[in-house]
Amino acid sequence: MPFDDLRSFLDALDSHGQLLRITEEVQAEPDLAAAANAAGRIGENAPGLYFDNVAGFTDARVALNTLGSWANHAIAMGMDPLTSTKDQVAEFIRRWDDFPVAPERREDAPWRENSVEGDDINLFDLLPLFRLNDGDAGFYLDKAAVVSRDPDEPEDFDKQNVGIYRMQVKGKRRLGIQPVPVHDVALHLRMAEEQGEDLPIAITLGNDPIITLMASTPLRYDQSEYEMAGAIRQSPYPVATAPLTGFDVPWGSEVVLEGVIEGRKRELEGPFGEFTGHYSGGHSMPVVRIDKVSYRTAPVYESLYLGMPWTEVDYLIGPATCVPMYKQLKADFPEVQAVNAMYTHGLLAIISTKKRYGGFAKAVGVRAMTTPHGLGYVKMVIMVDEDVDPFNLPQVMWALSSKFNAAGDLVQLPNMSVVALDPSSSPAGVSDKVVIDATTPVIPDDRGHFSQPVRDLPETPHWVAKLTRMLAAR
Amino acid sequence: MNAVPEETEKIMSCPRCEHTGIEQVAASPVEGVWTVHQCERCLYTWRSTEPARRTSPEHYPPEFRMTRADIDAAPPVPAVPPLVRR
Ligand SMILES: [Zn+2]
Repeated sequence: MPFDDLRSFLDALDSHGQLLRITEEVQAEPDLAAAANAAGRIGENAPGLYFDNVAGFTDARVALNTLGSWANHAIAMGMDPLTSTKDQVAEFIRRWDDFPVAPERREDAPWRENSVEGDDINLFDLLPLFRLNDGDAGFYLDKAAVVSRDPDEPEDFDKQNVGIYRMQVKGKRRLGIQPVPVHDVALHLRMAEEQGEDLPIAITLGNDPIITLMASTPLRYDQSEYEMAGAIRQSPYPVATAPLTGFDVPWGSEVVLEGVIEGRKRELEGPFGEFTGHYSGGHSMPVVRIDKVSYRTAPVYESLYLGMPWTEVDYLIGPATCVPMYKQLKADFPEVQAVNAMYTHGLLAIISTKKRYGGFAKAVGVRAMTTPHGLGYVKMVIMVDEDVDPFNLPQVMWALSSKFNAAGDLVQLPNMSVVALDPSSSPAGVSDKVVIDATTPVIPDDRGHFSQPVRDLPETPHWVAKLTRMLAAR
Repeated sequence: MNAVPEETEKIMSCPRCEHTGIEQVAASPVEGVWTVHQCERCLYTWRSTEPARRTSPEHYPPEFRMTRADIDAAPPVPAVPPLVRR
C-alpha cells in the first residue's frame, strides 16, 4: 500500500521498528538537530525520529530523519527493509518506466480543516521552527515541496514544477528562498520577473515520502513530478487544489503555505549548512510573502538535518540522482550497467560499463557530465568494468588501484560548470572536471598487462550457497 | 529602584553583526520559557535558550560574523533579469 501522507509512513516505520519516539523533554536547540545529526552517525539502518515534548511548546510534533537510512528508504518504496541499496536503485529504475501515471484528484484534503490568512499568519506560532547548524542564519524550511507553474503556460500540468528548495524563515509571513539557477523554479521566476510580476507559489510541508523523493529528482522540465510519483509508488498520486493559487498540491500534506515570490526583489539570505558539508555563504536572494496557510489539525512538522555527509539528504537524493543519469546514459550507450551518483548529490559518480572499443569508457564518463544533472554536478567520474559493482566501494577501490594509470587514464576538462555551492569551485560555479578511467583497456588501446586476471573459481558460487546455508542453520 | 526586567535594561545586540535594532518575533507558548529574536539588519534569528555560541556577540564564532560591508557585498542569486517588453 503506497503512503498517501506522512502519518501513514510514520506508522509504517513504527511497525518495522524504524521510528524512535522520544517522549522526554528536549530543547528545540540544540537537541532536535543534534539528534538528527546523530542518526547519521549510528550506522546504516538508523531510524526516523519523532519528538512531541519540546521545551516551551504546548503542541509540537517534530519528525526527523524519516528517509535517513536504506531501511527507511526501502519502507518508503514499499520494499523489504533489508533490500540492498543496489536492488533498491534497480527497482526504482524498473518502476521509472511506468511513467507517466495520471494523478488522482481528491478534494477532501485534510489540510482544508484549518486556515489563516494575511496578517493573521505567524509561522513561528504555527510551526515548531528550530535551527539546524551553528552558523545558519536562522530557522529553515528545508524539506518542503514547492509548487510553481510556468507563467507563460499556467494551464500546462506537465510544466508545473514540484521541487525542494531551502527557505529561511525571515518573519511571521516572510521567507527567503534559494532557487538554484539550474532548477525549474528559477526558470519560472525569471519569466515572471522579466514581465515585472510576482511568481505565485505553494509550499507544502510534511509530505508522503514519494513526493519528497520526486521533488529531489532531476526530471526534465516537462515531466510532472506527480506523474512520476504515480509510477514510483505504483498507484495514481493523490493531489488536491490549493485554495489561493489553484495549484495542484499533495492531498496528504500537513501544511500548505501559499503566496508569491516577490518579483525583482532580493535580500540577504544565509549562510546555511549545506549538503556539501560546508556553509553556503550569504547571498542576496528572492523573498516569499505568504498570504494563506491551510493545515491539518495537530500538524506534524517535518524537517531534515544536513551537514557533513552522510546525513538524511544523502539517502534522500542518492537513488533519485542515480536513476535519471542511468536512464539518460543507457539511452545512448546500452553497454552501461549501473550508475552510483550518490556522493554529494552526484559531484562524484561511479559508472560501470562494457567497452565497445578502446577509449569508450572515457566517452561515457564525459557524456555523464553533459546530462542535465551532470552539467551542474558531475565533477568526477570513476569508470569501472561491467563486473565491478559501483555500489561496492571495496570493488571500486580495487579497480582504481589496479587498473588506473594516470598516464593515459585521466581526462581533465578545464573550467566546466558546477553548482556554485561546491566549495572547491573557483570562481564559484566553475571547476575542472575529471574522468578517472579504471576500466580494463580494450583494443586498440593495448596499454598495461591485463591478459591474466584472477577470476573467482567456477565452483565458488556453489560454496557461497553452501556456506550461507550452514551459517543460517547454526 | 524600579523593578525593570533585565531584558529591557541592557541593550540587546545581534550576535552576528552587533547591530542593536533587534525585534522579538516570537515567545514560547508556555509562558516564560524562551523568546525568539531577529536582527533587523542581517536578519539573523535566534532563540534565547540557544547556546552562547549562537546568542552572544562575545561567543559568536568569528567565521560567521558579518559586517555592513559583507551584507552589501552579498551577490544576487539569481540576478534580477532585465525587463522584457512583449
Ligand atoms: Zn545582525
